[in-house]
Amino acid sequence: MSDQITIEAVDTDGAVQEAAEKVAGDSRAAFLAKGALFGGALAGLGSLMVPEEARAQTATDVAILQFAQTLEFLEAEFYAEALRMGALRGDVLRFARVVGEHERIHAQFIGRALGRAAVRKPRFNFRGTTENQSSFVATAIVLEETGVAAYKGQAPRIDTRSILAAALAVHSVEARHAGWIRDLAGRNPAPNAFDQPLTLQQVLAAVAQTRFIAGPVTTVAGGRPLFTG
Amino acid sequence: MSDVLSLEVVDADGAIREALDEAAADSRASFLKKAVLGGGAFLAGGVMFGGFPKLALGAPSPAQDVQILNFALLLEFLEEEFYGRAVRSGSLSGETLAFARVVARNEAAHARFLQRTLGSAARRKPRFDFGEATENQAMFQAVAMTLEDTGVAAYNGQGPNLTRGALAAAGQIVSVEARQAAWIRNILRRQPAPSPFDKPLTKAQVEARVRRTGFIQS
Repeated sequence: MSDQITIEAVDTDGAVQEAAEKVAGDSRAAFLAKGALFGGALAGLGSLMVPEEARAQTATDVAILQFAQTLEFLEAEFYAEALRMGALRGDVLRFARVVGEHERIHAQFIGRALGRAAVRKPRFNFRGTTENQSSFVATAIVLEETGVAAYKGQAPRIDTRSILAAALAVHSVEARHAGWIRDLAGRNPAPNAFDQPLTLQQVLAAVAQTRFIAGPVTTVAGGRPLFTG
Repeated sequence: MSDVLSLEVVDADGAIREALDEAAADSRASFLKKAVLGGGAFLAGGVMFGGFPKLALGAPSPAQDVQILNFALLLEFLEEEFYGRAVRSGSLSGETLAFARVVARNEAAHARFLQRTLGSAARRKPRFDFGEATENQAMFQAVAMTLEDTGVAAYNGQGPNLTRGALAAAGQIVSVEARQAAWIRNILRRQPAPSPFDKPLTKAQVEARVRRTGFIQS
C-alpha cells in the first residue's frame, strides 16, 4: 500500500473528514495529514473509531488498548530492526516488509485512539534474534502467535462496540501473519481447529520472559499504563 | 456498501482475477460467474472505500446469539462439505491437498462445535452443489480463497453483535479461518495478509454472496 494515498482518494463519502471534524483537541489538518500517512485502510477504520472512542472509553478499554499498543510496538520494532539488519531474503524478507508495515500501522492507529493515554514506544533489545533468518522466523512465529492469543483473550472484555470491531479487524490480521510465517517455516499454518486465548497476565509473563522490552513502559503523558496494574 | 460491487472494485490486488485466469483453461465461464465473480466479491486488497458498513444489529442477547451462530453454522456446513468433497474427488495434489485435508478437518470441527452449542436450535445441513469447484485444483483454489476470506469477514462482522461468552467462542474459530485464508493465498502466491485491517461484512452482505454462488441447493 502506498503512503501517498490521500484522504480525498479514499474518503469517497466524506466519512473520514466528518470524523476528523469531531475529534477534540486535534486540528482537522493534522488528522488528515496522519490519515494520509496511514493510507486508506486506516482512514476507513478511523471513520469507525475516532469519534466515539475519543470520549467514551472505559478504563477497561483504555487498559486493553494500551496493552495492545505495547505488543504492536514490540512487533513493529522487531520487524523494523530485522529489516535494518539486512539478514532476511526471499519470501521471509517479503513477509517482514508487509507485516512490519501492518504492525506499525496498528500501533499508530491504537495510539490515535488513546490520545494522551497512548503508550510511548519503549526501548527494546531483541537479543540477536533479528540478526539471522532462522532465529528471526522462530521469533516471528512466537510473536504472531502471542498477538493472536492476546487479542483473542481481550476481545470479549472490550466494552465499546466500535473498539471491539476494530480489535477484531486486527486480530484476524495477526492470525493471517501467524499462518503465513508458519507456512514459510514449513509448519502447519492452522494446526488446531480452535485457537486458544491467553489472558493479559499470561501474555505479560511470556513477554517478560523474552526480555525484549528493555525500558519502562509509560504513557505519552508520563503516567503508568493501566494494564501494568 | 453495495451488494453488487464489481470484481474490479473489490479485487484490488487482482488476486481473484488472476486466480481465475489460471483456472480458465478448463473451466466454464458460467460457473466462474456464478461461483467466484458473484460469491467472491468480498475483500478489497488495500483501500477501504467509505469505511465500515453498518454492523450493529440489536444489543447482544442469547436469542441473537442463536441467530448469529446458526448463520455461522451455515457457512461452516458449506466449507466442511466443499473441502470434504474436494479431498474425496482425488483431483487435488501437493500442498493444495495438504491444505484441503487440514481445513476439511478444521471446518468439520467448527460445524460440530456449533451444532452442539445450538442443540435443538441448530439448523439442518442443506444440500450443496459445487459444480466443478471440487473437481479441479485451480478452481478449488480460487473458490477456497473466497470462502476463507468471506468467513473471516463474516465472523468479524458479527463479533460485536454477540454476547461476551459467544464472542469468546467465535474468536477461537475466526483466527483459524484467517490462518486458512493466509495459507491458501500463499499457495496461490497472493498476498496472505493484503490489508492491515480485515474488513468485516454484514450478515446481509455475506448472505447475498453465498446466495449468488448457487452452492446451496436447499
